[in-house]
Amino acid sequence: MTNIQLSKDPYNIIITGVGGQGNVMASRVLANMLVEKGYWVTIGETFGSSQRGGSVMSHLRISKESSWSPQIPKGRADVVVALEPIEATRVLKDYGNPKVKILSNTRAISPVGVIAGELDYPSMEEIKKSARELASDVWFIDATDEGLRLGNPILGNIIMLGALSGVGVLPMDREGFKGVISRSIPKDKIDINLKAYDMGEQMVKV
Amino acid sequence: MRIFGPNELLEDVVKKDLCIGCGACTYLCPYFRSYRGKTAMLFPCTLTEGRCWAYCPKTEVDLDDLSKRFFDRPYDGDPLGFHGSVKISRAGSKVGAGSFQAGGTVSALMSFALNKGYIDAAVLTDRDGILPVPRVVTDPGDVLKCSSSKYTAAPTLSGLNQAIKEGYKRIGVVSTPCQCIAIAKMRSNPTGIDDFTDPVGLVVGLFCTWALDFRAFDAFISERIDVNKVTKVDIPPPPAEIMEIYTADGKQEIPLDEIRKLVPDTCSYCIDMTSEFSDISVGVLEGRPDINTIIVRTKKGQDIVDEAEKEGFLVLDDLPEENLEHLMWAANNKKKRALIKAKEDGLINTSQEDKRSYLRLDPKTLKNIIA
Amino acid sequence: MSYLSDSNEGARYLLMGNEAIVRGALEAGVKVAAGYPGTPSSEIIENLSNVGKDMNIYVEWSVNEKVAMEVAAAGSFAGLRSLCAMKQNGVNVASDFLLHLAGSGTRAGMVLIPCDDPGALSSVNEGESRYFARLVEIPLLEPGDFQEAKDMTKWAFELSEELRQIVMLRSVTRMSHASGNVGFGRLPVSDVHAEFKYDGFVLDPMEGIVISAPVDYRHAQQHEKLNKAREIFEDCPFNTYNGPDSPELLIITSSACTLYSREAISILGLKDRVGLLKLGTTWPLPPKLLKKYLSKTDKIMVVEEVLPFLEENIKILAAEMASEIGVKIFYGKNDGKIPMVGELNPDIVVNALAQVTGIDYKPVSDEYENKAQETATGGAPSRELTFCPGCPHRASFWSIHNALELDGRKGFVCGDIGCYTMAILPCGFSSLKTSHSMGSGTGIASGFGKLGGFGFDQPVLSVCGDSTFFHTGIPALVNAVHHESNFTMVILDNSGTAMTGFQPHPGLKVNALGDEVPSIDIAEVCRALGARVEVRDPFDLEETQKTINQLIEDKQGVKVLILRQICALSPEKKGKKKYEMTIDEEICLAENCGCNRLCTRIFRCPGLVWDKGKKVTKIDDVICAGCGVCADICPVGAIKRKEAA
Repeated sequence: MTNIQLSKDPYNIIITGVGGQGNVMASRVLANMLVEKGYWVTIGETFGSSQRGGSVMSHLRISKESSWSPQIPKGRADVVVALEPIEATRVLKDYGNPKVKILSNTRAISPVGVIAGELDYPSMEEIKKSARELASDVWFIDATDEGLRLGNPILGNIIMLGALSGVGVLPMDREGFKGVISRSIPKDKIDINLKAYDMGEQMVKV
Repeated sequence: MRIFGPNELLEDVVKKDLCIGCGACTYLCPYFRSYRGKTAMLFPCTLTEGRCWAYCPKTEVDLDDLSKRFFDRPYDGDPLGFHGSVKISRAGSKVGAGSFQAGGTVSALMSFALNKGYIDAAVLTDRDGILPVPRVVTDPGDVLKCSSSKYTAAPTLSGLNQAIKEGYKRIGVVSTPCQCIAIAKMRSNPTGIDDFTDPVGLVVGLFCTWALDFRAFDAFISERIDVNKVTKVDIPPPPAEIMEIYTADGKQEIPLDEIRKLVPDTCSYCIDMTSEFSDISVGVLEGRPDINTIIVRTKKGQDIVDEAEKEGFLVLDDLPEENLEHLMWAANNKKKRALIKAKEDGLINTSQEDKRSYLRLDPKTLKNIIA
Repeated sequence: MSYLSDSNEGARYLLMGNEAIVRGALEAGVKVAAGYPGTPSSEIIENLSNVGKDMNIYVEWSVNEKVAMEVAAAGSFAGLRSLCAMKQNGVNVASDFLLHLAGSGTRAGMVLIPCDDPGALSSVNEGESRYFARLVEIPLLEPGDFQEAKDMTKWAFELSEELRQIVMLRSVTRMSHASGNVGFGRLPVSDVHAEFKYDGFVLDPMEGIVISAPVDYRHAQQHEKLNKAREIFEDCPFNTYNGPDSPELLIITSSACTLYSREAISILGLKDRVGLLKLGTTWPLPPKLLKKYLSKTDKIMVVEEVLPFLEENIKILAAEMASEIGVKIFYGKNDGKIPMVGELNPDIVVNALAQVTGIDYKPVSDEYENKAQETATGGAPSRELTFCPGCPHRASFWSIHNALELDGRKGFVCGDIGCYTMAILPCGFSSLKTSHSMGSGTGIASGFGKLGGFGFDQPVLSVCGDSTFFHTGIPALVNAVHHESNFTMVILDNSGTAMTGFQPHPGLKVNALGDEVPSIDIAEVCRALGARVEVRDPFDLEETQKTINQLIEDKQGVKVLILRQICALSPEKKGKKKYEMTIDEEICLAENCGCNRLCTRIFRCPGLVWDKGKKVTKIDDVICAGCGVCADICPVGAIKRKEAA
């Protein structure tokens, strides 16, 4: 049972990735976990480019007091959870600050410009280096690969949620996660999701 | 010689209306295509050097280079080009009956060459209504289906490019002078392809004074008849000064003056009346619509003609002197007029440097011809 | 069963703005709901259709917004609470009916819910629906957060019934698609009976005839209704004030801008200096309320999007009251503190506030900002939008583009609204040369097709989706056939309204509630109208291109080419590959003369990946949809397709 308190109010999280990765699902699960614990959560999202190759972002404002702007103000992200690595780099341009924490998946999804041979996708070393220069704490985990090992790459998102819990800045816990997903997924899938969540928590403690 | 690419081809030839629609640049890749007589570039290509530019008969034609390659001597401006014998001919009895134009020499040569294995495929030009359509023919019996003259520029070389893709190794082509030049450029491997082998086995060139722009001709004729019903098109010898268009319902005559307006500008720069870069060139004998004039240029050409004659595919005879003189006079006129115009318009490169020009020629030779 | 129909009063959920609106409508006992798909509004009808059967609500995706409003109005006339939902420019489509409905009045509560898209995040315009409220003289409400989205919607039905007038409740993308905590109220248990009464006295609002005439009488009634609304709004709990009694600056705001303004005040620490007047009732403005707050200070900043609707209306009131309240200094759009164009966010408001209060605010140091900018520019390659793998539009535009290039007469395509609007971009080979509103592609093309007498000889095509065809494509086609316009209408039939989330339309056998219903055959309709009609599969590239060339050479009247192939995202298709695709790397010509990367550089399907190291194309099995089209474009046959098991 968690007893972590928010270090500031509102606490701002960005979950970012590429359309179709499960960005919305991840933000809903996280948000519902926090609503259950009595918090006000405001989520800002855009749908539209989601299926068609564009970047997607969910802004989550966690507060004890009220709703806040669905768009996080400039330079005020506290945690960036990136389901795709260059999306982390991208959001730091507007929302980064020296104290931000970055939790990123390592699985790259190339933009059309890259696969068409026109743009370059940076190396993992370059991405990690930039992240370290622009953040206070950085974790890169192979969430998709582990998800694949568990049987479905989409479980990578659950692993990321577990990892976010492991980072230790939010009042998240396993029971809360189980409670939320029990309401929305078939009973026979609950165990594998819990397994993924636990794995995520472990991966950031390494 | 420096090779340029598709963008230069577009700028220097297509956009300047120098393109004759010969098809040399088409079907080498997915970008250039010929449609109803016009050359189109479907998508932009970023290459700076390409076969499209290198094979085009309107880009940097180095006459000396081509002449040395195929005839072992520099270009000297002979009105008929380098040649051996000049005779008259017609199809022999061994050639099947068919509606060939004039003496049927071209059909005879191609069906003979296919028959005897001199070539493994023949690239000919068929007709769909009045639209010329390239065809790759492998059955000698099918050659006659493509006989009859087409007076509009045709993308015959797209058929050659397709035949090369399909793997034929000794291809015969019936081509106009500009197409012969493109074929000669291609055979010289200008882009330096590794393991290049010459896929062309025989070039039969046609005499040509001008060709008609297909779309202009189509629009002009469509006002008068249903183009899908056309069976034959002919320009009888002077002094008729008409074009005859045959349909199932009969014959229509059109004044040649009207027709000449449909000749594209690019033909006025053409220096070659008798397809100088061929193995054998064939035209119509002046005044005798059922007989051909035949010019043999290479040993291969001579071998084929000799054997065809021996086996009854071809009947040859001597060319009367005055016809030869007239032919030379006409050919020289075309060459001279074209060179003067090209020089005036800055399209000839007489220097040692690479330039984006249409023709490359030794300045002395140029002077001799024009004088 | 949806959680939106949870009967527990007091339950708390995290809801999207659109879901909150739906809950509010359910708590009001809505019985009829109609709309046309349009981002950011689509979830309203979608969520209502999910509970429609269980809760006995008639929910319809209508062919267009005008018909949707008419369908909903019938519900109201028959005594059933009804709503219609649409995106901002849907109101433009419905506006003729709206004008007359405002004249005739309504019976049971009726609410119009436009969801505007400031910044055009999913639109090709950032038009305003709010002005329609003023123009047709109906009340306008704007929820300022998620709880209000629910509570206001419920109240809107009550207000509508009190006034016998349609009420506009306007949302924006950042409200509709954002989510927040919402506490549920009670769901009604009563049942309703529909009956249209018309035998009473002709002018009786509940039992007479429902017409917008006599106009002077009805128009005067409209004014009375507005006056009544004005009175009600003076005391409305949705108009709130937070701040000091004597603020230095008063911010007046509405809608999502409330959240931005509140946050901006907090960021700059101006809680004790700046007052925030949030208006939930933004037309007509309650003058007494405004007088009270305008009197508090001389400096007023209006924060809203997109047009200065509130700002200008407040200025009019302020001018009228000037002798009583004094002259005010206004900050907002007209003086440039708030941009005239685009959506707002907390930083824009922070900027404006900082300027007015003289505070110097920097979210991060210049050094960090520069570094982050530099890193993003080099290290985060942009993600261009493209058609999905397996999208029939990619194949259709490939053929259209090539046919026009071959034709060589500078032909062009008039575009329309749908996924295929993206054909403006390289993913559609930049084929579209005009693009406006629903159905306008065909209308414009038919205009071009009549210009032959002025020497116009360019081949003209229009593209129109199957849903767009039913929306407004049919009248344009009728007009074109009747006037013998020379052009080709290409109907891109992918069996659904794809861009907005694959909603059904009359071309399909299913409706919003999931019932099996008769479908309308597009080809038959076009033939009945007298057009020359051809139907092809866009995945057959050669045949499609040949057909297009034939059609654009035919100068007689209207040609219709239906390119029929199901959307890659349709429920029927999704995930099922028809072919397994592989590349023979030995044959792949790649960058060389003869190919120059046609598949990755030009065709650009996301399933085809250029391997810079090996210098060949590869197939991304995860992304590839297995449609097989790329095998037909490879000039050397290096792309192989094999039927999937």
